[in-house]
Amino acid sequence: MNELVETIGRCVERGKINKASPFPGDMKGLDGADELTHQALEAGTDAEAILQACIAAMVRIGEKFGRNEVFVPEMLMAAKAMKAVTEHLKPFFQSGSVQAKGTFIIGTVAGDLHDIGKNLVSMFVEGNGWNVVDLGVDVKPEKFIDAIRKQPKCVVGLSALLTTTIVSMSKTVQEIRALFPSINIVVGGAPLTMEIAKEMGANGYARDPQGAVRWLAAIREAS
Amino acid sequence: MERLLPQSEREEGVFEVTIDAADVTISKEVLYRALGYSDNRIDPHFKDIVDHVLAGIHDLCAVRAGYRVLDAHVKADRGEGLVVGRTFITTGCTIAGQLKNAEKAALFLCTIGPGMEAWSRRLFREGDPVRGHFVDTAASLAAEKAAAVLHDHIGLVMAGGGLKVTNRFSPGYCGWPVADQRRLFSFFPENFCGISLTESALMVPVKSVSGMIGIGAHAMRENYSCERCSRKECTASRAYKNSAPT
Ligand code: B1M
Repeated sequence: MNELVETIGRCVERGKINKASPFPGDMKGLDGADELTHQALEAGTDAEAILQACIAAMVRIGEKFGRNEVFVPEMLMAAKAMKAVTEHLKPFFQSGSVQAKGTFIIGTVAGDLHDIGKNLVSMFVEGNGWNVVDLGVDVKPEKFIDAIRKQPKCVVGLSALLTTTIVSMSKTVQEIRALFPSINIVVGGAPLTMEIAKEMGANGYARDPQGAVRWLAAIREAS
Repeated sequence: MERLLPQSEREEGVFEVTIDAADVTISKEVLYRALGYSDNRIDPHFKDIVDHVLAGIHDLCAVRAGYRVLDAHVKADRGEGLVVGRTFITTGCTIAGQLKNAEKAALFLCTIGPGMEAWSRRLFREGDPVRGHFVDTAASLAAEKAAAVLHDHIGLVMAGGGLKVTNRFSPGYCGWPVADQRRLFSFFPENFCGISLTESALMVPVKSVSGMIGIGAHAMRENYSCERCSRKECTASRAYKNSAPT
């Protein structure tokens, strides 16, 4: 792999956004994902190669998170560095020479106002190469349905933080299913388990953002 | 530091306690730990953010807290809960067991208000999720601290009458269903302490805590019985088990 591309990947993994960013301490003053991606594209590097290196970097940071070697703040910095890269890749996405893995529509279900967990999942999935539509919190089933109509090939993610809002989550799954029987739905949030997810008719359950990314990769492979 | 705080009676038997934002401040070390950095090995940039966030807590926390004390007893034939006033509350066996010596119960509510929540949300919206996450975590700790301060205050008030208090327990923990929030709220005037319940029993502002404390001559604050509970996903239990001596 091109050395510059490898360095961009390292910047994403370490959460080094740009030269001005003081994080991480040991990379202070160095060029970050922003400057290096610009340089790489100027030098004619293949946009797809940059994207793949960065997605691999996001997988590595996710694995470190799973092993408790890094925590949410490092994951967020990595996602921000990834965003700096994808900003440069936008024209390639628009021309079709680089493609997103698919569209992921996510929201916290009606009656629930929690958004931090959902935001983390949203940022991390985006960083892993998906086009993400974040519908926010307290999202009624109709709003999910409207969004799905616009992106019928999408995958849907639902988040909830209390057992009492699981009722609303079940209702949302059922209403979506009634209109889009074959759509893939993944659910997550503190009170959920695989059994509860299955009972409500979701296709999958993810414990954390990394789990959501793994599940999305698996269904993409299977399709 | 336990001290008796000013309180006023809102309606018969319902007290609102004045807790200052300074009473719910948290140390850097506690916030580092909550963010995952238990050994204090944290990047200098994150340390700067922690300093900034902790400096903001004082201005943004508008703590409100209150309680109501009622007669209570665990019914021998209905071990899965206790009668508070005239209402049977299904707390589950774990909590009922811990409250078996209670003669009264203090039901409580507290919040740090919507300020921190709004700050965190704004930071996420403006593209600074790291700071937003730090603010959210600090706010959660401050809400828990508010509950702890209120608990200590109730303990001191009761000590004045020769009574002791138990641990505090909340709907959603130790087998007490979250749906019981509605019953708990029915003991208080509407919008007490500025806290309301949504249809799905979510408290607004989000950074709020509700619960119950047992009171009695032989009541005791003792270890939570987490070792007997099988809920792996409960963070309170995980924290307890990790800190328990082996
Ligand atoms: C689509 O795919 C996906 C995939 C993964 C997905 C996903 C979607 N959505 C989320 N995820 C996942 O990925 C994210 C990143 O890792 C995670 O998102 P989270 O949003 O879970 O994570 C955040 C980034 C950080 N996590 C958090 O902020 C929550 C942490 C824990 C410890 C927690 C905290 C801090 C708090 N709480 Co409380 N609280 C707990 C939590 C226990 C836990 N294990 O999570 C939980 C959620 N709380 C609980 C309870 C009961 C309550 N809390 C309450 C209060 C509080 C505090 C104020 C003290 C504080 C802040 C709460 C807040 N939400 O802002 C009360 C409710 C508050 C309200 N507004 O109504 C109260 C009802 C207690 C009371 N009676 O006062 C429990 C709910 C259990 C249940 N049966 O519903 C609980 C699980 C604790 C427990 N018992 O183990 C994953 O869940």
